[in-house]
Amino acid sequence: MRFNLDMPAWKWPFYIMRHPFEGFEDLRWKKAYNMKVALVIVALLFIVSVCKELMTGFLFNTSDVKIFNIVPIIIRTIVIFFTWVIGNWALCTLFDGEGTMKNICVNTAYALVPYIIGEVINIILSNCLLRTESAFITFVSYVTILWSALLLISGMKTVHQYSIPKTLLFMIITLLAMVVILILIVLLVSLFQQVYLFVNSIYTELLYRFTNLEPTALIFIFIGVIAAVIAIVVAAYTAYEKHQIAKERKKLNS
Amino acid sequence: MPSIKRIATCVTASVMAAATLLTSTAFADEPYTGYNYDWWGDPVPSQNGYVVDKVYTGLDMGIDSLSEPSDMFFSDNDDLFLADTAYKPSNPASDSAKGRIVVVDSDFQLKYTVESLDFSGVQDWLDLKGSELKTGALSQADYNKVTNLAFNGPSGIYVDVDEGEETIYVADNANDRVVAFQIDEIGDDQYKTAVGKVKVVYTRPDASMYDSSVTFNPSKVLVDAAKNVYVCIKSITKGAVVFSKEGDFNGYFGANRVEQTGEVLLNAFWKLIFNREQAKKMRRSVPVEISNFDIDTDNFIYTVTESKSAETDILKKLNSAGTNIYTNLGYSDYNFGDALTKYYRGQTYSSQITDIDVADDGVINLLDLKTGRVFQYDDECNLLFIFGGIGQQKGTFNIVNSVESKGDKVYVLDGRKCSVTVFKQTEFGSIVHNAIALFNKGKYEEARGPWEEALRRDSNYWLAYIGLGNAYLNEGQYETAMTYFYHNSRTGYNDAFKSWRMNFIRDNFTLFAVIIIALLAFIYIFSTWRGKVRAKKRAEQERIFKEKNKGKEDV
Repeated sequence: MRFNLDMPAWKWPFYIMRHPFEGFEDLRWKKAYNMKVALVIVALLFIVSVCKELMTGFLFNTSDVKIFNIVPIIIRTIVIFFTWVIGNWALCTLFDGEGTMKNICVNTAYALVPYIIGEVINIILSNCLLRTESAFITFVSYVTILWSALLLISGMKTVHQYSIPKTLLFMIITLLAMVVILILIVLLVSLFQQVYLFVNSIYTELLYRFTNLEPTALIFIFIGVIAAVIAIVVAAYTAYEKHQIAKERKKLNS
Repeated sequence: MPSIKRIATCVTASVMAAATLLTSTAFADEPYTGYNYDWWGDPVPSQNGYVVDKVYTGLDMGIDSLSEPSDMFFSDNDDLFLADTAYKPSNPASDSAKGRIVVVDSDFQLKYTVESLDFSGVQDWLDLKGSELKTGALSQADYNKVTNLAFNGPSGIYVDVDEGEETIYVADNANDRVVAFQIDEIGDDQYKTAVGKVKVVYTRPDASMYDSSVTFNPSKVLVDAAKNVYVCIKSITKGAVVFSKEGDFNGYFGANRVEQTGEVLLNAFWKLIFNREQAKKMRRSVPVEISNFDIDTDNFIYTVTESKSAETDILKKLNSAGTNIYTNLGYSDYNFGDALTKYYRGQTYSSQITDIDVADDGVINLLDLKTGRVFQYDDECNLLFIFGGIGQQKGTFNIVNSVESKGDKVYVLDGRKCSVTVFKQTEFGSIVHNAIALFNKGKYEEARGPWEEALRRDSNYWLAYIGLGNAYLNEGQYETAMTYFYHNSRTGYNDAFKSWRMNFIRDNFTLFAVIIIALLAFIYIFSTWRGKVRAKKRAEQERIFKEKNKGKEDV
């Protein structure tokens, strides 16, 4: 045996990085999937993306914005990551994929390690290089992105036990699934916004109707109304249940 | 002895008087807010570089009001020539007489007006046209047009002064000609009417060289040092029509490029596939025509394009070969006019540059028809000032037609208000102009004082940071230069950083050398140590493996 695989969990990503094909197989065989390490890697991805926005040298900072906004970065890293995991799991469980959600999450996170390292190198380089020497930065980013892509393909292949063409196909379909998920999320958010607006408009309406009432009292009234609605529903349901039970009993008796 | 009460009264009174005096020196704001663009391309408020000095109407010049004047020109003799396009003469020299030329001096006092022409100096040309009429090469209507004794909608004017001899070139729009004439004597009536002695008439070239389906309605005219006449015609997309001094057609000059739109790219793709017959039926993509031009003291011709949708070749600086210098200078095309297209109150605002003026010091004034603003650039296309606007107050316009500059003043001609508005430089404007003049000569250190003063007055002024950065870069203070260039100029920052980095490495070479050697030594020692540890571990494992298997072999 060339390598001792009884290593601590944090060493696995680096081992896998150096062995793109064998690494994931070993991970699967040793059942060494570690969610904590995966989450740390995702957190690192987020931090590095923030650093890239803020600390890239002036000469190379193409996304130079006047006002820093963290929300797009959260969406670009964390939301996209988990959408990928959920989308991939949802698809591949239907098509003989063997990966669980946890395994997919861990494999995807481990595949991102070269990309994160490349970004760190690029942030440092961008503060040392001139514009004419930008080829180094392009080189590093190309190599690390390719490396990460390779790892991702290998990881997905291993975790689902697919052939390579099938893996590639399902990765592309996963991208479509991600789009669908994101659209649904946006729809849901806008729906809840509508609900909020509805509630809010009722609240303002009440405020205008009963100008002598205090807002706190209104909130109590509102809670009271909701409680009353819930009580009615519950009462109706219990009555229905009682009726059903009585029916059953009648059946049994007869 | 004066009582305390009395002293107090005196002091209060004097303070109040001083306060009144101070407030009385304050003057009304301009009807427009000065703004500029920062490094991100966002508009930021800025000091006004130009404020309104005076507005001159036709009555101020000593004549009745102008009607839809469309062009003006400052001659080298400091006279202002106005093309009063829609003027109706009281005793017309011919049936279709419209428009006149008004000449005033630099104080807007009337010198003379020109309403009619005298063709006696070009009898040969008249005879030639007469014979063409007989042979049928020229129709009667065309003959009447080109030999018209009066103007018919003169829309462009240029004055060439050569050894004190003033030749006036007028683009006589509806008469299909450009006439060059001189003034001998000035009448002594109310308008000081003068008759133009025609020297050369530039008319539609032969059908073999000039597409007969295209009209020849000159809108602007220009003459270079070699007395070539450039005529800008709205219906021609091949550029300006060039005539030699004698009136021969010389070709076209300075066509715009075809804009790279999606349709053009798609057409290029289809042309690869289609055969010749099919390709013929496709819509041809032609460039947008140039709408106006100006010439500077070094004989470079600047053209502008007025189209709403055009993005390329808004402003070109052409050398005598017709090559655009402004696209070859930078990494990409420059932006001119307002950077943003704004939608406001049901109207879309995007800049339509209708006229250009190049001052003697190379400062470029662009006139925007849509917003009524003048955009002033230096000769490197850095935005200096924006002033003017649409409105009814002094300093705002209805329909701007022409811009000219003389000294530190900028003149704008409004075709609807029929007036010339004079803008004068503010103190801030003169500081910036002084700095720019020094800066563009490469005297960066001398420009430092004006730039610092400009920054004290307006900390949003982007160009001042670049100027100061360059000053410090030239002095060798690279770190200061870097702080000035940061978020102001990538190129400047690159240069400053290059020198700073070189200095940094040279100063700390020993430190770098020690660190590198130490690192190499550390890596070497670490790897050998690790190799030993691994070998030990492997030996241990093998020993355990052998021990385990020993018993098995025995069995």
